[in-house]
Amino acid sequence: MDPRIQAYARVLVDCIEPQPGWQVSVRSQPPARPLIEEICRELGRRGARALVRLNFDAVGGAFLRYAPIELITTPSAIELHEIEHTDSYMAIVAPENTRDGADVPAERMGARQAALREPHMPFLMDEKPWVGCYYPTAACAQDAGLPLPAFEDFLYGAVLIDWHELREKMERIAEHFDRAETVRIVGPETDLTFSLAGREGKVDALSANMPGGEIFYSPLEDTAEGVISYLEYPACYLGHEVEGARLRFEGGVIVDASATIDEEFLLGTLETDEGARRLGEFGIGCNPGIQRHMRNTLFDEKMEGTIHLAIGTGFPQIGGVNKSAVHWDMVKDLRNSGRIELDGKVVQENGAWALS
Amino acid sequence: MGAFVDPRVEQYARLLVDRSLGVQAGWQVMLVATPSARPLVEELVRQIGRKGAWPLVRLSYVDQEQVPFDSLWASEAPEDLLGTMAPGEARVREELDAWLLVFGSENTRGGTILSPERRQKLRQASMDFTRRRLTGELPWVGCLYPTEALAQEAGMTLADYADFVFGACLLDWEAEAARMSRYTERFDAAETVRIVGAGTDLTLSIAGRSGLVDDAHYNMPGGEFFYSPVEDSAEGVVEFSEFPAVYQGAICEGVRLRFEGGKVVDASATANEAFLIGALDTDEGARRIGELGIGCNPGIQRHTRNTLFDEKIDGTVHLAVGAGVPMVGGTNHSAVHWDMVKDLRPGGRIELDGEVVQENGSWAL
Repeated sequence: MDPRIQAYARVLVDCIEPQPGWQVSVRSQPPARPLIEEICRELGRRGARALVRLNFDAVGGAFLRYAPIELITTPSAIELHEIEHTDSYMAIVAPENTRDGADVPAERMGARQAALREPHMPFLMDEKPWVGCYYPTAACAQDAGLPLPAFEDFLYGAVLIDWHELREKMERIAEHFDRAETVRIVGPETDLTFSLAGREGKVDALSANMPGGEIFYSPLEDTAEGVISYLEYPACYLGHEVEGARLRFEGGVIVDASATIDEEFLLGTLETDEGARRLGEFGIGCNPGIQRHMRNTLFDEKMEGTIHLAIGTGFPQIGGVNKSAVHWDMVKDLRNSGRIELDGKVVQENGAWALS
Repeated sequence: MGAFVDPRVEQYARLLVDRSLGVQAGWQVMLVATPSARPLVEELVRQIGRKGAWPLVRLSYVDQEQVPFDSLWASEAPEDLLGTMAPGEARVREELDAWLLVFGSENTRGGTILSPERRQKLRQASMDFTRRRLTGELPWVGCLYPTEALAQEAGMTLADYADFVFGACLLDWEAEAARMSRYTERFDAAETVRIVGAGTDLTLSIAGRSGLVDDAHYNMPGGEFFYSPVEDSAEGVVEFSEFPAVYQGAICEGVRLRFEGGKVVDASATANEAFLIGALDTDEGARRIGELGIGCNPGIQRHTRNTLFDEKIDGTVHLAVGAGVPMVGGTNHSAVHWDMVKDLRPGGRIELDGEVVQENGSWAL
């Protein structure tokens, strides 16, 4: 067995810090077997219980496609009880085919997500720990355009790092942002300002995402002014890849949007609801293990030397008040003639930090 | 449903959902299976959904008959956690309306990692649930999905094995039920059963006990009727010379048991005798007979080293050492329940109160 799997399992269990007696739900798909088995052992060693919940795909497959819609909108009493009494969950995405579930009609998928939102509130509010991650399968490698061994190297390179050292580094960076009011992002066809006044950031290291490696804020909802152009990478969301997205903000709202490819999807998404035209998140990628774009937000948004802005819903646990069904992270690379200014002072240039 | 699903899978799922469990709207039905059984699991999920019931799918890499936990977790966890089920899981099992177990090993030797002590603790943790199941309070059924590993164990190709499995399961179960009920009536009226065959002359009392027909309600395939004989009545010798005695992945050849006053007083085997003796020494009840079953499934004519099928071979009987079946009045308690199959087709017979009712596997009723 790849020895990195055991190290990965330990890192993932560190993310939730299980206490003895905890009931930890381990949600995944069959291909993740080697990792799941190591996680079960590790949870056992720490005196926590492993409740393994495997499904053939990440969305609930055959049941979502065929069950009467009333059954989908009302989860079973047993499922609700289990979610309520789960102390923590680990979601390991391990598809055999990343398009599994693509045949589930959107309203059925939406009904399922809506039904599970309320029971998952303690997790969404960070009152109970959880972690989401990937297991490297051939299907994931295929989507990343890599042979499996190369994708494994990439993934393990992003997750098997010194998290304590990175956390300290990110905490030092976050202090500067916490103290600042105005952030300015400058780069090719990009000059955008917004305010973080009164907001505190969150450092993601050994917490809800693996890989972590970002510092994120919910900016003041009516402050974004200027233009940002996502020229380096496609903006990926719900299986779409929008190229050359350009957004212009006034008073926090997107007043003008365009794209060179799949503009229709971009404009349609902005029309979803009131909140879809405002920023819900500003994140700074700091993971030194991630140096390339994979068309997979979990990894891309942590890329060192990039920032990302999400349109749509904000994070209430860090003061965000914007509400939307959308949360679309778009990644901007600043390594090539980009910079970040805090209250007029350059703190990062071409992806390199310049902090006192 | 995927493009390559054997159409027999749909019929199979229908029998399980409609006949074996009788799924009703609003039920919560747990499906325990392995990933290898995906086509059947998806078809079951679909049909359970159509009934207006919720499927609760529990996939595990190892068949979970006795141990509804991940055995790797149990190999590392503190021992005091093992004896009780996770509170959340215990609650689930109290609330369930039906339980369906699909055997579908990728490796029939995959479940043997755990030490016997730890396995025993896990079994203890699931005792309440086992009781709920075995007293008939909870509709349940155990079945099998043909995999390469199971075909290999049976000595067949997967295609032949699938034919064998579906041939045993897709029967006219109403007709089978009627036929087996006639035999059961005759046994119910009798006191003493005598089994005679190669190296075998054993008598048992079933006085005051009534039998139960499995017409695909507890097992799929069904095709047996069974008793828990009076616990102190077994006298004589039985020799399982035709087939190996198979239990939890272990295979014992040539098992011979001699009973006095209901207890095994002498046991031997030509291969793997140590395992046999170890099993008989598990506890007080492991040396007594918990079950006498009579195999009646016309679709099963050969031994496949899988008790679910072997105990139903037409023209065989099986005796289980260990736990009795409370549903049919059995009072013997044990952690063991090991069904051993005796072929009566080559020169064997069954007598009831001195009258021959089956000879060479053919009924004379």
